[in-house]
Amino acid sequence: MYFKLSLRNVRKSFSDYALYFLTLTFGVCVFYVFNSIEAQKAMMHISSSAQQIMKTITWLMDGVSVFVSFILGFLIVYANNFLIRRRKREFGIYMTLGMEKGKISRILISETFIIGVFSLAAGLFAGVFLSQWLSVVTAKLFEASMAEYRFIFSLSALLKTILYFGIIFVIAIVTSTVVISKYKLIDLINSIKQNETPKIKNPAVTTVLFILSVLLIGTAYRLVLKNGIASFDRMLAFECVLGAAGTFLFFASLSGFFLGLFKANRSRYFSGLNMFIMRQINSRINTAHISMSFICLMLFVTIGIFSTGLGITKVLNKGFRDAAPFDVSLSVEKDADLSAILSEHGVKLSDYSDSFIQYKEYSFKDDSLTLGTVLSKVEDQIPPEGRDTVIKRMYPMPVKLIRLSDYNRLMELSGKPGLSLSGSQAALLTQYAWSEADLQSLLENYISQGSHLNIGGADYSVYPRLLTEGIVNNGYDIFVLVVPDEAVQKSAVSGSVLCFNMRADSVAAQDRFEDALMAKGIPARCVSKNSVLAQAAGSKAIISFVCIYVGIIFLITSAAVLALQQLSEAADNKHRYAILKKIGADNGLLSRTILKQIAIYFMIPLALACVHSIVGIKVANDAIRQIGSLNAALNIVITAAAILLIYGTYFVATYLGSKKIILRN
Amino acid sequence: MGEILKVSNVEKYYGNKGSLTKALDRVSFSVSEGEFTGIMGSSGSGKTTLLNCISTIDSVTAGNVIIRGADITRMNSRSLAKFRREELGFMFQDYNLLDTLTGFENIILPLTIAGENHRSAVDKVNEVAKRLEISEILEKYPYEMSGGQRQRIAAARAIITGPALILADEPTGALDSKSARMLMECLESLNTGMRATILMVTHDAFTASYCHRILFIKDGKIFNELVRGADTRKEFFGKIIEVVTLLGGDAANVL
Ligand SMILES: Nc1ncnc2c1ncn2[C@@H]1O[C@H](COP(=O)(O)OP(=O)(O)OP(=O)(O)O)[C@@H](O)[C@H]1O
Ligand SMILES: [Mg+2]
Repeated sequence: MYFKLSLRNVRKSFSDYALYFLTLTFGVCVFYVFNSIEAQKAMMHISSSAQQIMKTITWLMDGVSVFVSFILGFLIVYANNFLIRRRKREFGIYMTLGMEKGKISRILISETFIIGVFSLAAGLFAGVFLSQWLSVVTAKLFEASMAEYRFIFSLSALLKTILYFGIIFVIAIVTSTVVISKYKLIDLINSIKQNETPKIKNPAVTTVLFILSVLLIGTAYRLVLKNGIASFDRMLAFECVLGAAGTFLFFASLSGFFLGLFKANRSRYFSGLNMFIMRQINSRINTAHISMSFICLMLFVTIGIFSTGLGITKVLNKGFRDAAPFDVSLSVEKDADLSAILSEHGVKLSDYSDSFIQYKEYSFKDDSLTLGTVLSKVEDQIPPEGRDTVIKRMYPMPVKLIRLSDYNRLMELSGKPGLSLSGSQAALLTQYAWSEADLQSLLENYISQGSHLNIGGADYSVYPRLLTEGIVNNGYDIFVLVVPDEAVQKSAVSGSVLCFNMRADSVAAQDRFEDALMAKGIPARCVSKNSVLAQAAGSKAIISFVCIYVGIIFLITSAAVLALQQLSEAADNKHRYAILKKIGADNGLLSRTILKQIAIYFMIPLALACVHSIVGIKVANDAIRQIGSLNAALNIVITAAAILLIYGTYFVATYLGSKKIILRN
Repeated sequence: MGEILKVSNVEKYYGNKGSLTKALDRVSFSVSEGEFTGIMGSSGSGKTTLLNCISTIDSVTAGNVIIRGADITRMNSRSLAKFRREELGFMFQDYNLLDTLTGFENIILPLTIAGENHRSAVDKVNEVAKRLEISEILEKYPYEMSGGQRQRIAAARAIITGPALILADEPTGALDSKSARMLMECLESLNTGMRATILMVTHDAFTASYCHRILFIKDGKIFNELVRGADTRKEFFGKIIEVVTLLGGDAANVL
């Protein structure tokens, strides 16, 4: 009986519930998808290092999911209480007709239950399909070939989703029961009276508060721009608190301030329904400013993580090929014959590859040729934030030399054109041009100065082009010099390197080689392409998954809260619009008024969030510069598109829903 | 004196084929310029329905409503809104003021909707407010006003555009007798001073006694008409009570 009554209620107020229901479904779907990553690897042919990384990702997603479930839990409890408050009147009538509170609670419980079950089912259904698509994305990230197409289904993610959302719905039910039990009949009946007394604030006070809020936000901006966010210290926490406090104050005083400003312009104020819109917003924002502030901050975080997250993956994306030019490279920091060491330990290279290259790295024991020799010439172009560290840490390090003949053999192995130098030329080589735009331009500047170097007493001119090809997997050096063979005569060997490519199925062979090395305990640093790739793809996957996951959840939560508030306000405003209609406002004018009102509610938090983000992205860019530069503009465009799509959808749905509520007879 | 309103053979049915309510049954009458007309009748007789049909809030099933020569039953919704804005003023039992606006803003609203210049609009509001003696309360919000004050604000809003016809549905319904008297004196002065044409629905014989003419409705039909002529208000009041008693129930029921 109660089930039937509530089913009818849900169906009757479907348009009220539709957005809420869709948001829940979307939340469940995203939750399932990001928890099903573990299962995806069944479909992929990936190395053991990639599997290791996948484990880390799964573990991380577990943690993030706890956080996400808190956010969604908040949304669900909030929305639930909201819908109850909306229906105070209905419950008041039930109660005057003699229905007990217990029964009302039971109706509510069945309603929450119905919505919960349906959104869980729909969300899981959508999630199972969406996870197929995500597995393709993951496979792309890891450059893995799809072993064979298999329908991915993760039972553990399914159970986890049901468990988490089950708990959330139980909490929602408990809180709504508590809320109902606290209501007194008199409150419920009185809620019929519409004339809430609008709290009008003193215009002078709101103006002072508004200016104060702008000052607070401005100070936070200035401090964070000055100090950066490279280190998480007390200063940063202080700046965040300052910014958040400013944001809250901003929304608390905004409408009062603007109402005052707007009223001063009488021809504007007394034109069309402007006066009505301003009063409307002013009367609501007094009570809505806290949620507005939270929404603004959430949007800020969303914009921030979307755009910087995307940026980081771009940086990581570009260059792992240059970071891992060969399938395997082995290195030791002494003069040694690595292939001999391998066969001593019973690892036969011929089992893996037809050809390999061994070469040595040279350096001068005295400090006649250090990184400082080169970098000090372009010192003024080193970004000031990092200058001290560079001078202290890097300058004293010796520059490593590679013989031209070794370099050419390496190029031959990787199928790239060789290099020829005149007897008195030395070429600069950096393997990190792809990630370190600053470093690249620094070295290019050095080259363009037409510099000369003293190598072992002889004078060498610097080759006019910067070499950027890889010579070892994940090399340590920010740059080396390629020199004519005879130039290394007076220097000492500082390291030995062995590089080769696998003959057959590279992924599996690399795993086997690494296992063999491990088993035999061979004392050399081995870097396989697998591991470089897994690490690059792994960090990319981690960052982009976390960003997308948290970003989407934040975005739909804030949009849903705004939408719910606006839809309920539409119901409250129905009688006001009816009055306007009676005194001669036509439907067109009313629709435009509804649109303006909702647009202001949706735009204001977004606008401040955007301003926050401009500062945030600038600061993040500065921090990330040290590992590579973000292509900020493009990422912001992508972020804006994503936000416009999701937030815009909510906006349009809210507008149409409100219009239907208000203009329907 | 020109004819402002002409209602001819208006019918209004509610409901579907299964259960049909004839809320209005071939109602015809007319109101001339400057007239103060009342409509009385027992509960459910169709007064509000009639007023809603005249005020273009509701549509008629059959018949014509002609206001200043324009047949409103043939207008589309856009021109109806314009017509409402320009030719009609409304007063309701529950005031229908906007609670988020001050008294001043409530009164000026019809002018801003019509796109009138704000300077002349402000002047008009102040002038009307002086006439209705509400200048003191203009900056108050409706919740800070008494019922009578609210209804006078509503009256000011109804006449601010200088409408051809003011329609009032039980304007004294929520007022005590003192406030009701003040409001009626105020409407009377609008009628005589500004030559406003008023059509008012009421239950109350005392309120009705301010009118020049009263139409009685029963079961959706015009049942009787009473013209004040040269009577004093007291005499007219007595006649109204007689008809009301005749209409059904006793006078005590109506008062
Ligand atoms: N929207 C509607 N749907 C169906 N029937 C309606 C509707 N509105 C009014 N009625 C019916 O039309 C008839 C006249 O109603 P109306 O509201 O005009 O009465 P009234 O004279 O204003 O009464 P009261 O003095 O109680 O306000 C009534 O029988 C009523 O039940
Ligand atoms: Mg009525």
